[in-house]
Amino acid sequence: MITLGDTILYASLFLSVFALIGLLLKDLKNIDFLNKFVIPAIMAGAGLLTFSYLLLTYYFVSSDFAYDYVWQYSSSDLPLVYKISGAWAGQQGTYLLWVMVLFLSAAWLAWTTRHITKMARRTQIITLVTGIYLIILTLIQSPFKLILERPEVIDLIAQGSLPANFVPPEGNGLNALLVNFWMTVHPPLMFIGYATITIPFAAAIVYLLTKEDGWEELGRQWARFTWLFLGMGIAVGGVWAYLVLGWGGFWAWDPVETASFIPWLTLTGFLHAASHHRKNKSTFSIAAPILAIVSFILVLYAAIVVRSGLFNSVHAFGDTSTGTLLISGIAITTVVSIVLGMRRYFEEPDKVEEDLGFWSKTNIFYVTILLFVVLAFISFWGITFPAFIQLTQGLKVGVASDTKNFFNIWSYPFTIILLLALGFCLNYNEKQKEQQKKTLFIVMGLTIITMFLRTENFYVLDHNSPFWAREPSIYKLIGNISVISIFPSLIYATWSTIQRLQDYLRIKSIRPKIKGTGIAIVHFGIVFILFGAVISSNFTQTIEGVNIPLAAKGELVDIGNGYGVKIIDFSTRNLAETSNIQAAGTRISEIRSSPESYVNTNVKISGKVTSVVNLQSPPPVTYTTYMQIDDGTGSLWAATQAEEPLNIEEGMELTVNGFMMTNFRSNSTDTTYDLIIFSSPDEISQGVASGSYKVQSVKLEVYQDGKKIGSGAAEYLESKGGSGTFPLVDSSITGTDVYVIFQGLGGGVVPLTLKIIPAVNFAWIGILLFAIGIILIMAVRTKSKGE
Amino acid sequence: MRTKKLVSILVLILILSFAYFSYITALKNFTLSDKNSSYLGGIKFHRAAAGLEEGFQIAQQENKPVMMYFWAIWCQYCAKFQTDTLGNTQVKQILENDYVLVAMDLDIDREVAQQYSVSYPPYLVFMDTKGNVLQRVPGAVDANYLLPIVTKVRDDVRSK
Repeated sequence: MITLGDTILYASLFLSVFALIGLLLKDLKNIDFLNKFVIPAIMAGAGLLTFSYLLLTYYFVSSDFAYDYVWQYSSSDLPLVYKISGAWAGQQGTYLLWVMVLFLSAAWLAWTTRHITKMARRTQIITLVTGIYLIILTLIQSPFKLILERPEVIDLIAQGSLPANFVPPEGNGLNALLVNFWMTVHPPLMFIGYATITIPFAAAIVYLLTKEDGWEELGRQWARFTWLFLGMGIAVGGVWAYLVLGWGGFWAWDPVETASFIPWLTLTGFLHAASHHRKNKSTFSIAAPILAIVSFILVLYAAIVVRSGLFNSVHAFGDTSTGTLLISGIAITTVVSIVLGMRRYFEEPDKVEEDLGFWSKTNIFYVTILLFVVLAFISFWGITFPAFIQLTQGLKVGVASDTKNFFNIWSYPFTIILLLALGFCLNYNEKQKEQQKKTLFIVMGLTIITMFLRTENFYVLDHNSPFWAREPSIYKLIGNISVISIFPSLIYATWSTIQRLQDYLRIKSIRPKIKGTGIAIVHFGIVFILFGAVISSNFTQTIEGVNIPLAAKGELVDIGNGYGVKIIDFSTRNLAETSNIQAAGTRISEIRSSPESYVNTNVKISGKVTSVVNLQSPPPVTYTTYMQIDDGTGSLWAATQAEEPLNIEEGMELTVNGFMMTNFRSNSTDTTYDLIIFSSPDEISQGVASGSYKVQSVKLEVYQDGKKIGSGAAEYLESKGGSGTFPLVDSSITGTDVYVIFQGLGGGVVPLTLKIIPAVNFAWIGILLFAIGIILIMAVRTKSKGE
Repeated sequence: MRTKKLVSILVLILILSFAYFSYITALKNFTLSDKNSSYLGGIKFHRAAAGLEEGFQIAQQENKPVMMYFWAIWCQYCAKFQTDTLGNTQVKQILENDYVLVAMDLDIDREVAQQYSVSYPPYLVFMDTKGNVLQRVPGAVDANYLLPIVTKVRDDVRSK
């Protein structure tokens, strides 16, 4: 069935194909007659896609479960913000978001360039091709598919078990892990980044095809913008992982995290290459465009990793069938870019350029760029080859006995070299080169010496972990390197950046000053992040298995190692602020309004028990319970009989399924019930079932040696879509986090895990510096030769 | 130009040898075969969807509750969970004697996992003989936490 949303998608597909034809005619045959409609068509396409996205959001907000996607990822009792974010909880919605942002970028490109230059026109052509590809991808698994198209629903309707216009009364609900503020911002950041990388990619393709100048200028701001959004998306994902248990800190080398990190690395490489390429067009004339293209390909690859199901990831929030089209997209782009790159390489005239030797700035910069490529490859390979082995040999393999060990040991040495290169490049001065080389060698020497320092447990791999013993010898060899060895290069990098910042600040004119400050800030960012990551992951103190009886509320309980915990309060609440119970089964008001259609059929209701009557019949003894159930829309009696007394009390939340009778006269209670549901005890279950998000919250204080070091609430969220923990995280100015995980009340005991995590704030500050720095760089529009 | 070429070739060799080496190492050391049951704590489990059906039959005959354990070979927490929690003497004894145990590989038994809304390992689902879910225990909880649950579920099912 073609829904309104699908119609809009088809219309935007038509418009973009039309615009593409117009541009192609102009470009290849110089035919103008369609050209004047191109910009309006692109604008209209972008408008329609934006409208379709808003429409999807509207369906979410209004809980329109006629749509399969809405049903899958939402329920009516979610707070508004999670209804809105539900639109990007699954693949269908994120693709729509992706394609929308891509077309907004295309519209911006059209608006600002008017396609006057060949470069702009051709970049738009490639952008539109990508856009069309993505619209098709979105349409294959449309977010606007109706629930009536589900095979099981079709079957049930054919059997007559469901009405032909079936609309589920309630949604499936949002995964509890996604019910978190950070999760509302993470996907849009990621997908805006995924979308905006298309422009630098398209410009790079055009450049490789035609050798036309101006590609770097065209894509420059877009690349920075992508870097910012992708980077922040990854960072927010890290914050989220940190705040929701089960991921082992803010970075766990989960395949999906890693997959999104790879294009960010190559994009960082691209930004470095581009900064030199723009000064001298022959520098990195192949490396720069190839890196832009590779980043785009890796974004498509990340999309595959998230949804293919081939990769063992905690991101398994949806499954799907767009894999083949994505793989073909990757294959085509890869082949095209390799061919184009090779062609450029062999066409390039043999420049009789003077070879400046290894220690020239360009060559050290080239090493830096290659280091980004190496780091990207390590990550790429670590998630790819296990999937490859599984596909080809049907064998499951791990990359190391503990997955994260693989990435840590291989990335560590190259990160140090990168820091050394950073220190050298940022402080590069042709005149003092010999002196600077000396400094570099000293730092290198210190790095090598410190690698051998022995400590209690401050190594690349954790020697106390059960996985340590099982790693092969070379992994152990690298794992044995003392992490103290990161400090010489870290200090060197900091020192260089400070020097460079001072130089920038001495510049009189304002633009280079701002831009230079931005560059320095970004490089400070990486120092902060690495410091925070290294310290926090190596010096975290964990006390597991803390069980505090609820009865000990208000008392300070000693949990060992000098730490103590005091429980201040325990409470439960519904996540949704409107506390009307929206429950499984039929609303009582609906039954009340047309009882005739429910009498003598099976009916399911749920709600709170407002009154209970327990009766005992003469031998053979049976127990009868009458209970009045209120679901906020009305109340209804239900009754059940059992051989043993049932534990039903007032205030309980129950779901009851049973046979509805009318005008039932009970002598034992001396009442005539106009409507009553008879149910067997098996058909009565606790809780109001579907889609209810209950939060258990424990307020507590943490003490160290009798002194309070942290307080707050640790929460546990339970829902039909699984459960999630939201730890108490109390940061102090010193950067040490008190982190308490609460796993949900069990048997009157509050189970807790306490972690004392130092320096994690440095990582967050580093991320902020990244953002501030790149925004400063973007704020300065430097003129270049192309414009 | 020559320096760049040289560096590129060196890096290419480095990358290729790293790729080859890690590939071989993984095949040699880290083949994760389900057959060795390394993550199941030395306890016998019924396996997969077929095992679940089988499990319910036994459960009905013997009036035992069913515990379904969702795990995955890549799950770091499962390793500790199976030795310390499932492997705890008291817990293990109750599980082996009074439960019908079914293990689900989260990678293979995806449909079952979806059916029971399980999205990450380790994850325990306790059920009565008819398949009604009585209790869910998500995450790598410790033995002190699990012991009262396995006792209570067992007693509840017995008393029915």
